[in-house]
Amino acid sequence: MTNVSNIDVPAADNAQAQTIAQRVALGAWRSYEFRVGFFVFTAMVLLAIFWPMISSIDPLKINIRAKLTPPAFMGEGWSWTHPMGTDQLGRDMLMRSLVGLRYSLLIGLTTVVVMLAVGALVGLLAGYRGGLTDTILMRITDAQLSIPMIILAIAILGVARPTIPAIILVLGLSGWPVYARVMRSVVMAERKREFVRGATILGASDLRIMFLLLLPICLPPIAFVAVLDIARMMIFESVLGFLGLGVQPPTPTFGNIIADGRKYLVNAWWIATVPGIFLFLTLISLNLMGAALERSRNRVHGGEV
Amino acid sequence: MFIVNFLIRRLAQGVVIIFLVSFLIFTLLRVIPGDPVRLMAGGMAPDHVIDQIAEDMGLRDPIPVQFVRYMGGVLQGDLGQSFIRPASGAAVGGASFDDNTRSERAEVFDLIADTAPFTLQLALLAMAFALIVALPVGIYGGLRPGKWPDRLALYMGSLFISLPNFWLGIVLALVLSVNLGWLPAIGYQGFAYTILPAIVLAVEIAPFLIRSLTVSVAQNMRENYISVAAIRGIGHRRIVMAHALKNASVPLLNLLGVQFSMLLGGVLVVEFIFDYPGLGLLTINAVLQRDFPLIQGIAIVTSAAFVVINIIVDLAATTIDPRLEY
Repeated sequence: MTNVSNIDVPAADNAQAQTIAQRVALGAWRSYEFRVGFFVFTAMVLLAIFWPMISSIDPLKINIRAKLTPPAFMGEGWSWTHPMGTDQLGRDMLMRSLVGLRYSLLIGLTTVVVMLAVGALVGLLAGYRGGLTDTILMRITDAQLSIPMIILAIAILGVARPTIPAIILVLGLSGWPVYARVMRSVVMAERKREFVRGATILGASDLRIMFLLLLPICLPPIAFVAVLDIARMMIFESVLGFLGLGVQPPTPTFGNIIADGRKYLVNAWWIATVPGIFLFLTLISLNLMGAALERSRNRVHGGEV
Repeated sequence: MFIVNFLIRRLAQGVVIIFLVSFLIFTLLRVIPGDPVRLMAGGMAPDHVIDQIAEDMGLRDPIPVQFVRYMGGVLQGDLGQSFIRPASGAAVGGASFDDNTRSERAEVFDLIADTAPFTLQLALLAMAFALIVALPVGIYGGLRPGKWPDRLALYMGSLFISLPNFWLGIVLALVLSVNLGWLPAIGYQGFAYTILPAIVLAVEIAPFLIRSLTVSVAQNMRENYISVAAIRGIGHRRIVMAHALKNASVPLLNLLGVQFSMLLGGVLVVEFIFDYPGLGLLTINAVLQRDFPLIQGIAIVTSAAFVVINIIVDLAATTIDPRLEY
């Protein structure tokens, strides 16, 4: 019997040594999809950060003589100067797409951070306090959830001036209700457990319990799945750009390039297609990572592994 | 008696939600800069004319006063009149201020009632397309977790969700209607015009259905009642179709309620791309023209639809699974 317990204890210790967050991340990393997504995403991010720095081409420079050059190997008159072709004003499509990707990533990431912060705070407060606080906060959440996010976003941005902080704020503030709901249900389950009661008896303040005990446990599983929302927000950003309510031209964004390219669709299909492909590659890499993380999380919480 | 209680409680909550939504949108629209009267009267109108119009319409009153007046109308079923659209049709936002040919302004209610059926038709067709794809892929994926049908479901979901709807719409319009000439794309002259927008919308909805189905079917197949059913001598086919699927459809229904706003967002963009004369196009135009009453009316109607759909979803869920309580 002693032998058994001697073997068992270190094994259990090992499992304890890894936090749930680490186990989820490790489980995801083991899947093929996550690695493919990760490499594609890293490549896109590096390209978006460094290519505009290295290359001497200006994404805004108009060169009428080189207008409507097709992408490499895709028709007459292509050249290596513009591997992805040029638009109706002779601006380089590769550079424009990459600058668009920069804005898209920037807005996507910060928006999700805002969403997560607001949602987690509201959920934490509602779940921990319960009672009247909970009822009021959740009714506000329901109300916000029932306004279609995009109507709210275009209503505000259509009337106010769409600057980058405004876009981030509008998207972030309209996307938090889902997080608030999930956070609330997780916190409600956790706060009934022994360690919270123990901390209360030891005299820990509510704030301490909320932010130092509950938040570190409840946030990571939600934050992992937020990767999927980065992709969703990038789509929203490009939709706004497409409707003319995103970052304003001449700054290129996926949305406004595609909206422009739509007019030249029949004779210059690449103007609308090239940024779409960049956007699609980034999105699918994010979604593969997010889906792998989500599955890994479900497995860890389901008790397997 | 239970049903009546449930309905009363949920409808009361729904009224609170709709009230909050309208208050939020109403306040936002008035706090944000941009004068709708300037758009109505035309850029050339002198300031005193603008002030006169704004005064007549009560737009210079304090916001709470305006809100109470507006809600009073809403309670009587009057959503107000559009700022810009005349009852006869085409928008005249840019016309000069002293143009006498301007006709009566359109009722918001009529504008919404005229366009809503188109959107409903589009949404239902898209839902049908999405289900045709998602049901087999999702169920099969859930039955074989970790095997290739599960992978197929994962890849298909990731692929579909990564296609930006407006881009897909443009590419499909280029390929299917310009190059191949199979389907009409722009405007609306018959049922065929609904198909292409519905496909784009279905691609947007399908991944959520696939994911929810895969997870819930896989979960249900691990339950005791499934193993017991096999011992009871029920065939595999019947176990999956009648037992597992029935319980797996509850999360699917809930998804429909929660993701309603996402569906609406998709409708908006798709209708804009294909110039489809539904509620979505009306909304975008209303926003771009700063047509406050119309935006408010649409917000109220959509949040009411959200409330009603969620009540129906919960009722249907309790019918399917009587263990659930609401």
